[in-house]
This record gives sequence, C-alpha cells and structure tokens, in this order.
Amino acid sequence: MPMTMTLRPAAELRGFHDAGHGFDVFGLHPPTLRRTLALGGRLCDRYFRTRSHGAENIPADGPAILVANHGGALPIDAALVVLDVDRATGRIVRPIADRFIPALPLISTWFARTGAVVGTRANVAHLLGRGELIAIWPEGAAGIAKPARDRYQMRTWQVGHAELAIRHRAPVIPVAILGSEEAWPVLGRIRAFHRFGAPFLPLPALPFPLPIRHAIHYGAPIALHDGLGPGAADDPCVIAHAASRVRLALAALLADARQTRAGRLW
Amino acid sequence: MNVLVTGATTPWGRAVVEHLLAAPQVGHVLAVGAEHVGTGLPSDGPRFHYAQADLTRPRAVRDLLYGPARSCGIDRVLHGALHRAAGDRGDRIHAINVEATRLLVQGCVRQPEIRRFVLRSGGEVYAPRADEPNLIDEDHALVFDPGAPQWLRDRVEADLLTCAQIASPDLAICVLRCAEVLGPGTGSQLWDYLGSRVCLRPLGFDPMINVLSVDDALDAVVHALRSDARGVFNIPGFDTLPLSGLIALAGRRDVAVPGPLLAPLYRLRTRTVGFEFRYDLNLGRFHTGGILDGERARAALGYQPRHPARCLAAALAA
Repeated sequence: MPMTMTLRPAAELRGFHDAGHGFDVFGLHPPTLRRTLALGGRLCDRYFRTRSHGAENIPADGPAILVANHGGALPIDAALVVLDVDRATGRIVRPIADRFIPALPLISTWFARTGAVVGTRANVAHLLGRGELIAIWPEGAAGIAKPARDRYQMRTWQVGHAELAIRHRAPVIPVAILGSEEAWPVLGRIRAFHRFGAPFLPLPALPFPLPIRHAIHYGAPIALHDGLGPGAADDPCVIAHAASRVRLALAALLADARQTRAGRLW
Repeated sequence: MNVLVTGATTPWGRAVVEHLLAAPQVGHVLAVGAEHVGTGLPSDGPRFHYAQADLTRPRAVRDLLYGPARSCGIDRVLHGALHRAAGDRGDRIHAINVEATRLLVQGCVRQPEIRRFVLRSGGEVYAPRADEPNLIDEDHALVFDPGAPQWLRDRVEADLLTCAQIASPDLAICVLRCAEVLGPGTGSQLWDYLGSRVCLRPLGFDPMINVLSVDDALDAVVHALRSDARGVFNIPGFDTLPLSGLIALAGRRDVAVPGPLLAPLYRLRTRTVGFEFRYDLNLGRFHTGGILDGERARAALGYQPRHPARCLAAALAA
C-alpha cells in the first residue's frame, strides 16, 4: 500500500501520556512530532516512494516490540517506520536509541521530542509497562554504516529485545526495511572519532541518500513468551534462543520481500 | 503516632511541623533545632514541644532521645536537617550533614520506643549519566566522585550510612530520595536558578526536569511516617517539563549559551551577586536530565504526587 494517506492531527496521536505540560516524561512533544512527520512524509512519499505491507500485523493497542534491520549512514529507516506506523495505525512508535545519543547537542533534544528513548532497562520497562509500541534495531550502531557487501545481512544481533518481550509478555513484530541499506552507501567508519561517546563516524560515499524506492514489510507477531514462566527472562539460553528465532524470522521476511520487490529506482 | 522532627527551625522544618500538627493521626510533635528558641514555631502546648539540641554531639543526641523524646512518647523520627547552602564547606558542615545523621540513626536503633526512622534525602545523590538518562529508579548509580562538591558528597554519605542500618530488626528505616522541592528556603538550587531574570541553559540541550511542590513533599513525609515499609523510595513531583518550559513558567528569559561557558558565568554570578546556584552541581541534569521513577513509593507507601508546582512558579514569577 503506498504511503500517501494524510497525517493525523496531534490530538489524535494514540498512546501519548502527558506528564502535565504537553510532554511525556521522556520528552515526547506531539506538536513537534507532527511537524517532523509532516516534513518527513513529503520526503518519504516523493523521494523514497515508500510502500507498506502487512501493517495489520501491528497490534492496535498494548505493548509490542517492532524489530527491524538497520542500515544507511543515518537512521532514516527509523524515521520511515515511525511515519509508516503512524499512518497505518495512529500509534506512536518509540524508537529505542543508542546510549550515546543524549550526549549529542540538538540531536538529543530533537530525538526526545519526536519520541526516541534511550534503551535503558528502566526506560523500556516503563514504556512497555504502560502499553506502548517500541521499535528496536538489534544490530545497534554497528548496523549503521554497514559495508555495501553486507547489506541485508545481520552480522551483529543483540538479544535485549527478546528478554524484554518475555519479561513484559509483549509480541515481537519483525519488520523488514528494504532500501535503507542501499540508499546511502558508506565508504567506511572513522573509528578514531569518539566525540560525544559515538562509537565511530560513518563516512558516506555521497553527501545525500540516493532516491532508492523503499518498502516496509511487517511480519506476523511472534509471542516469545508463550509457554514460558516469569523466570525465563533471566535465563541466558532462553533469551539467546528467542533472539535467534526473531533473527531467523526477520531474515526470512527480508528474503521474501527482496524477491517480490519491484525495482530499486523505478 | 508521635513524631520527632529535626531541622525544625528551617522553612521546610516549620512547614513539616505545621503539616504534622494538622494531621489527625499525629499525636505529639517534638521539634528539634539548633537554636535556643524555635522561631516561627508554635508555642509549647499539649501536642507540641520544642527542644534545642546540637545533633553533632553524641551526648546531646542521647539526651534528646532518652529525655524529651521518651517523655513525649516519640515513636517516629523524621530527619531532614542537612545544611542548605551549597557553597559552604568544612568540618562543621560535614558534622551537621553526616555525623548528626550517623548519631541520630544509631541512637534510634538503640532506643527501644522508636520504631520508625525516615531520612529526607534527595535525588541529587544519583549520578547523572549521559548514557542512562530519563527514568531513574532506586537502583541507579550514586555519586561517588571524590571531586564532587562537599554539599553533594555529604548528602550521599548521609544517605548511605542510613541505608546501612536498614536491616536493623527493631527500627523500620525509610530513605526518601525526593525530587527537588521548588520553594523558598528549601535549599533548592532550581529555585535560586529561577530567581534570576535571565536563566542561562546549555545550548543544544533542553532536558526534562521534575520538580516537587512543598505540599507533595509534605504528603510523602506523612505517608512514609505512617507506613512501616523499609527501604529507599524515590519521591517525584507532579510536574515534569523541559528546562526551557520551567524557565518560561517562572516568567524568566531563557538564553542558550555554549555549555563550557556556563560554569564560569554562574561562578562569576555567585561571587558578585551572592546567589547559591552552582552550575557544577547541576551540570548533569542540565544536559541529560533525569526523572525519578516513583513506582516503588506509589506501591509501598501509597504516595502519588497531586500538587502542581505551577502556582509556585507563578509566585516566583510575581
């Protein structure tokens, strides 16, 4: 389905928990999110021509975890998922950001106002506890700035999302994002760059991303907690097994999506 | 319940005494202060008594706990007598903050009639970390930086030595780590910060700040005194808003300045005008913020913030 529906007004944003002054405790500000989505929506429709498939797999309410592949010099894929879920369901997605983000001037504030939350245990537990929809990229910062030969290959795979899903009994929805790993190729990483705590600085091959056609595919929800007791979230073997289930599901979804893909540029 | 309140001659202490005397479940209030006369406190009567004591001296603490406290039938102690001026330092200040807390909590452990000890600590004891912002639960790392100002190190030490006695079988100890109380005379750094017509904040950062109204802080104290729950509890306030929003609410002008300039600018302000606000004490929260997670206090003490600081900020604006 093409992403050309109109944006919902700020008042209709579902899942916003006002802490009393128009912001939630993490700093989300619906009017800022609205403006950002309105601006990003045009770019998404006209430049990346993003298409969405399987959004009906996203639960209408309750805690849920979107788990997606990561790529590109900057996290454009995260922005596309936030926009797409908003258009398809009206739910606010809380992208889980890396721990160096809060140290970045301006970016930290903008991320917070648009819903991103740093992935600490207390933060994520709070979000899932109040039934929010979160999005995690288990490849982490290593997913960003992947070499072109590694596109759509999940080399690193953190397991925290599986623990969270089991502990909070939240379904996991694999999300395959096509396009983001090709749109902005990266020449390499400047590892000596550790300013603000960033693990590296990606060195993009181009000053701007290519107009690659994007597609977002949502897979069937996986209930990792089914048949598991409350103590299972502390068992490293259970967590590792659950995380590999998600990885395999996402890899299969990516493979299917790439086979049915129309074309990269046209 | 009969309550002993330390630091009773401070504005916060007076508010606590008034609040406790208005609470129907409180029988007797024994107010303790360093001064000979309890200025601003009610006169001694059937439900109220004032006692002068230097809590930094072991003999004075013993005399207090086995003298006036015993004769008033005190079974609960609220300790909140920490030095407020952030710029002051030295052995005497350390004795007021740390030694007095140590002597009092150890004395209460030994005094058989006292069943409850509540320490009013603060959220400033948590180490602000850029990689762990937003919600701060009770297990968050504390400030153990030897280079931290004495004001902060003393608070962490007082908090921890009280925590060290939590396993005491006969005394139910509760440590309240309160969000900053936005009110005059409370030692609030933010209140002092907002007292200036122009408030400087770090360029590129606008962290979320939570402030506690005096009314909610008093409610939390009464909940803690009434309960027998042991442990550490975060006490957040009703209002959570960006720093820029708080500045606007107070009617002040918000000016963003590159971060490295802020400490020297505020140091200059302290030296020339004499304000208490120290940027080095607030650097962490002015960059990455940090909101106390009050879930444990809600579940165990029944505390829920209800009073917005909006009116206080409006008073400050006026």
